Amino acid sequence: MVPILSNIKAFLYSRQIKKIQTNLEFNKNYLPIKVNYYEDQLKQKSEFLDLKIKHKLLPYEIKAGVSSEFLKQTYELQLQKIEEKYYWKKRALKQIIKRKNIDEKISLDKLNKDKNNELDDIKRKYYINTPNKGAELFYNNQAKILQDKYGSKITKIDTKYNDLIRSLKMKVENRINNYQTRYEVYKTKLANLNISSKFSLDEGVLLKVDNLSMHFGGLKAVDKLTFEVKKGEVFGLIGPNGAGKTTVFNCITRFYKPTDGHIYFQNKLNEVVHLNDIVVHNVIREGIVRTFQNVEMIWELNILENLLIAAHTTYRSGFFGHLFNSRLLRQEEVVIRKKAEKILRDLDLIQYTYAYPFGLPYGILKKIELARTLMVNPKLIILDEPAAGLNEAETRVLEDTIRKIRKEYDTTIFLVEHDMGLVMNICDTVCAISFGQKLAIGTPKEIQSSKIVQEAYLGGE
Amino acid sequence: MIYNNEVCKRRKAKFNSIKNHPYFGFVILTLLMLAVQFARVLGVDVPITILRAFGLTMIYIIIALGFSILLGYAGLASLGTAGFVGVGTYIIGYMTNSLGTSIFLILLITIVGAIIIGAIVGFISLRIEGMYLAIITLGLSQILNEVFKNATVFTNGTNGLNLDGIVIFNKLIQINHNAIFVVLAVFMLFIMILTLNIMKSPTGRALLAMRNSESAAQAMGISIFKYRMLAFIVATVYALLGGVFYMSYISFSIPTTWSLAFSLNILAAVIVGGSQSIYGIVLGTFMIFGLNLAVLNQIQFFVDNPAISIVFNGALIIVVIIYYPGGLIRLVNTTVYKLKTKIKLWKKRRKEYIYGSDSE
Repeated sequence: MVPILSNIKAFLYSRQIKKIQTNLEFNKNYLPIKVNYYEDQLKQKSEFLDLKIKHKLLPYEIKAGVSSEFLKQTYELQLQKIEEKYYWKKRALKQIIKRKNIDEKISLDKLNKDKNNELDDIKRKYYINTPNKGAELFYNNQAKILQDKYGSKITKIDTKYNDLIRSLKMKVENRINNYQTRYEVYKTKLANLNISSKFSLDEGVLLKVDNLSMHFGGLKAVDKLTFEVKKGEVFGLIGPNGAGKTTVFNCITRFYKPTDGHIYFQNKLNEVVHLNDIVVHNVIREGIVRTFQNVEMIWELNILENLLIAAHTTYRSGFFGHLFNSRLLRQEEVVIRKKAEKILRDLDLIQYTYAYPFGLPYGILKKIELARTLMVNPKLIILDEPAAGLNEAETRVLEDTIRKIRKEYDTTIFLVEHDMGLVMNICDTVCAISFGQKLAIGTPKEIQSSKIVQEAYLGGE
Repeated sequence: MIYNNEVCKRRKAKFNSIKNHPYFGFVILTLLMLAVQFARVLGVDVPITILRAFGLTMIYIIIALGFSILLGYAGLASLGTAGFVGVGTYIIGYMTNSLGTSIFLILLITIVGAIIIGAIVGFISLRIEGMYLAIITLGLSQILNEVFKNATVFTNGTNGLNLDGIVIFNKLIQINHNAIFVVLAVFMLFIMILTLNIMKSPTGRALLAMRNSESAAQAMGISIFKYRMLAFIVATVYALLGGVFYMSYISFSIPTTWSLAFSLNILAAVIVGGSQSIYGIVLGTFMIFGLNLAVLNQIQFFVDNPAISIVFNGALIIVVIIYYPGGLIRLVNTTVYKLKTKIKLWKKRRKEYIYGSDSE
């Protein structure tokens, strides 16, 4: 009875911890975005009010003979506008002259005269008087009045936004602290339950496939396969066609239920889970993301939305939040969109943000699938033939991308590939299988020189 | 000068933000509907048949919106709509006539009932897909229809059920069609906004992902079970609420209305209009139901030969599906796009005519 209860408790605690983790991440990302937004608003509003004061002071300035930068700017803008207007008028006139027989000289002269008149008007309007003591006093007085009137407004806005920013910072930081303490509490609670000893992995091992077998009727697609993937490495699984590589993948991501054997994985909370017990759509929550052999895009959504779909598990708002477009949802959308944009920029895909996947080159689609996997901060990325259908140049780009991802996003990559060049270049460890059985495991060089592998690929004798 | 420019820019941005707001079109549509009603109240001679046609079309829009979530987003075909709408009409009919239940309680009961029915059908849909699902829901609809015919205690059988009125706070109030029209228009606006929210939210994206590729959806953490259930529940809630509004507006329900033809018409409306766009569904519903009710029934020729109007409608559907498989909304969008490019070209030519080309 007691072990069942503690198991349930452990399940609930780990769920809570996962929730707290997503909350923490959301709050940490949300704070700078919102603060930035407030600062922008504040800047815009205060600048606008400044402009208003300057604008209202203009006539007094002219009278007083105080020529400020703003006055000069306005004056030049007026002149520029008239120049532009008459430039077009002149062009139109030339066209008319071309079509009809009008005396060119008279009409052009008239146009020039009009232009000069208007320019004179502006010059008269902005004619700066010689400095005049009385007018200057009046100007200073007016400036003071306006400063009083709008300056108080500016300070009001300033204090308002600063208060907002301060309160937001306090609120979010409080929340973060709160979550952090709760996180610790749940962690100790989980540790006190002492049930993590149920499954264990060796130090540094992320994924362990233990005696995995998958039989389709009489066909043994995978037969007693055992291997380990270490943390932070690029692990390659190779084998001739029909060796059962994709079946292994599907067993790990729970698309297939293995006939026999166990798969252990160290999840995001650093606890070892038995993947056989997890439902297919919950695998991503443990930190495993996969791509597909033939790209599986959501063709009716654009690239950005395709990335957002991948972040589906990180949304905390529920169906009713979505139904009424709740505040939480809007905040989350902003945060997750920012994240998606960052990833797109990292992978040089930013120009495709709003494009639809239909009709994009295959290499780009493969890259987008890679970008999609990064949306949930995965521990293990599983790539199913990333280079299939790519040409030489595209493969090289993909190679660089995989290296970059591994370096910058701190993940482990596990891939199946036919392109031996790619595998030998980027993999730290390679496992060769044939007819579902392990042939050899080791560094790429070892595999290359292995006799058994050569036999499997090229045929013995 | 600089200040004036800034003010202009701000005003324009504000105007654009209102104009480009996603709900703007819905509000305009609702206001148009209300304008017809108010014109009649103010004494303008709007024929009652046209008013009824608009009212009915609004009810059908509500039902079709639910169906579009099911078909356009979740990719599940159902032919059980008519049965569900019928259930809605009989819930309000029986409860008001025999029990005197308040309308608010009835709405609540309807929603709860719809969730239960939707969950049952959704559960069935987990095992069955495509055409087979359509046939199963069709069977369900037929069963419901037989129940309507034979459960005379609740439905008054084939004679049809009349609604006595609407109970608000224990008081039976005679049905005022004008008031219900206004409530209906506002409710339609509400439903449109909710539907748009679903479509644009992570839920809508998850449904689309499920429709495009189930394995990709599962790999990204989308539970097929949850979202199929959800799609069916939403569609059923909309259908039952549509039924309640139908009964309160028409105040008469007869089993023959809730036959396969009704389900097919809703399906046709969603497909003809464009299954993923709210404006498309409004267009499609107007074409399938509104055109018949508001336009064709006004022409003496079609009144004399009602069969021809059906043929006419059918021909229209065929033409649209053959030439515009994305629905009428695609046609509208492409024409608008073409017109815009034409206007741009025309403006450019005009500029060249007046000012000469830039190279000169």
